[in-house]
Amino acid sequence: MVFDLNKCIGCQTCSVACKVLWTRDEGADYQWWCTVNTLPGRGHPRDWEAMGGGYRDGVPQTGRRPTREEWGGGWDFNYEEVMYGGKGQSVHLHHLGEEPKWGPNWDEDQGAGEYPNSFYFYMPRLCNHCTKPACVEACPRDAMYKRPEDGIVLRDENKCRGYQFCLEACPYKKIFFNFQREVSQQCILCFPRVEQHVAPACVRQCPGRAVWFGFMDDESGPIHKLVRKWEVALPLHAEYGTEPNIFYIPPVGPSRLNDDGSFDADTPRIPTEYLERLFGPRVRSSLATLTGEMQKTRGGGKSELMDTLIAYWWKDMFKPFDREPAEIQWQDLPLVELPESKGAR
Amino acid sequence: MKAVKLQLATRTLLNPGAAQWDKVPVEEVRLAGMPVHAQPSRYVRTAWADRPVGAVRFLSVRAAHNSRDIIFRLEWADETENRDYANGTAFPDAAAVIFPMNGDAPLETMGSAKAPVNAWYWRANFEEDAAENLISRGLATEEVSGSGSVKARARWGDGKWRVIFVRPLTASERQGVEFKNGKPVKVAFAVWEGSNQERANLNAYSKEWRELIVE
Repeated sequence: MVFDLNKCIGCQTCSVACKVLWTRDEGADYQWWCTVNTLPGRGHPRDWEAMGGGYRDGVPQTGRRPTREEWGGGWDFNYEEVMYGGKGQSVHLHHLGEEPKWGPNWDEDQGAGEYPNSFYFYMPRLCNHCTKPACVEACPRDAMYKRPEDGIVLRDENKCRGYQFCLEACPYKKIFFNFQREVSQQCILCFPRVEQHVAPACVRQCPGRAVWFGFMDDESGPIHKLVRKWEVALPLHAEYGTEPNIFYIPPVGPSRLNDDGSFDADTPRIPTEYLERLFGPRVRSSLATLTGEMQKTRGGGKSELMDTLIAYWWKDMFKPFDREPAEIQWQDLPLVELPESKGAR
Repeated sequence: MKAVKLQLATRTLLNPGAAQWDKVPVEEVRLAGMPVHAQPSRYVRTAWADRPVGAVRFLSVRAAHNSRDIIFRLEWADETENRDYANGTAFPDAAAVIFPMNGDAPLETMGSAKAPVNAWYWRANFEEDAAENLISRGLATEEVSGSGSVKARARWGDGKWRVIFVRPLTASERQGVEFKNGKPVKVAFAVWEGSNQERANLNAYSKEWRELIVE
């Protein structure tokens, strides 16, 4: 998957598409498999980049599990009272229970920097379905596995006994614990859709046309072009050592403003040093390629890169997974039974 | 170690505080942490290399039967009552009584493919009287087997856990270990301290099998 951070507007349609499809049940309701966070920011779970996990020089690194508070979310509201309580304007919508301290997009739009050179951008994150998934290796029961046919990382909820070593080992902290069912859960890359050649929900529903989906080794496809050929799409925190399969085109962003109000065309408002911390030193050449090709087309020239980045045809962004979900008779597909609750609940 | 024969209703013995338990001789069991180098996951071996495994070091066990059911009473000191996952910061406390399914089995690997073990497993977030009957064929292979008719009742107080395990003496072979009068059965015990993040094969256990005779 490739996300173009120049296009992401933080509308959260992808987060909600996933939420509505997969994480509505009790225990999953606080889980946001796909989140879009404002950067610079503390992210979701809060300060996840300091929680360890992953590999360094091939050696597993100790990590910790996020706490329920660091994920936040899953709030209940007084809908009944507001809608049907007959109390008119004397009551307003509010959360029930403990005061929320964090949520899936808590620090949205805060960003960093000083006016007029404040800066921020949006970053969607989901399970990276890594090539070297630390979660798969960490599970002593082999409950997590990576499918050979499409590389999707899944868990066998019959085998999972809620040990949560996978949560500790994942450096991106995109595995969640279902406190009700006592199993770990994470983005399944919409595998029931992918198996029917339908793109994942987050991909297909993006109104900004900011995300591509496909196989890396399809040399005619956009993923290969953006990651391998043009090298503008980069992994997040490659130093975590798990070889994530979600890539990001870094945000070029606006130029800095001088004190006199003129543009400093040579200095981006988003500091390149900050982007290096996320995407590594290759971000410089990626940004240079992007700005170079953008200049070319502004001058009337042709650019294969820009032709790939501009979504002329929406379905080209996720071929061959361009089947209509409405076409599929989902009810005719074999149903996977959820395992019975464990532990004599 | 003996499972003393008592003419008492199971209902009575199911109460960890019942005075009748005082008459049953106690077996003091020393526990040691599961060795980290033997853990099946490279992540666990690395993350726990310098961390102490097996916070609970002493366990008091009493065993009795009334010809119908066999009952074990486990007691250990634990300052913290861990009844749940504490919003992601701990694990529930747990304990198990372990037997070889067929006479003998390697204890340090919790059984093997050819010689499984039967573990009666209680965890502090189970419902009242609930327990799991597990069959294990090696570390991290445990599977819940049938209902097993294993029950457990636990009380925490005065900085101690007191847990009763009960099961009919007769169980079908597939579901668990068999007991025969007079014939010794190997038994071992394990305790998980939730506040020390213990779960899976991170626990304290009695390093060797003990011989249990059902009177």
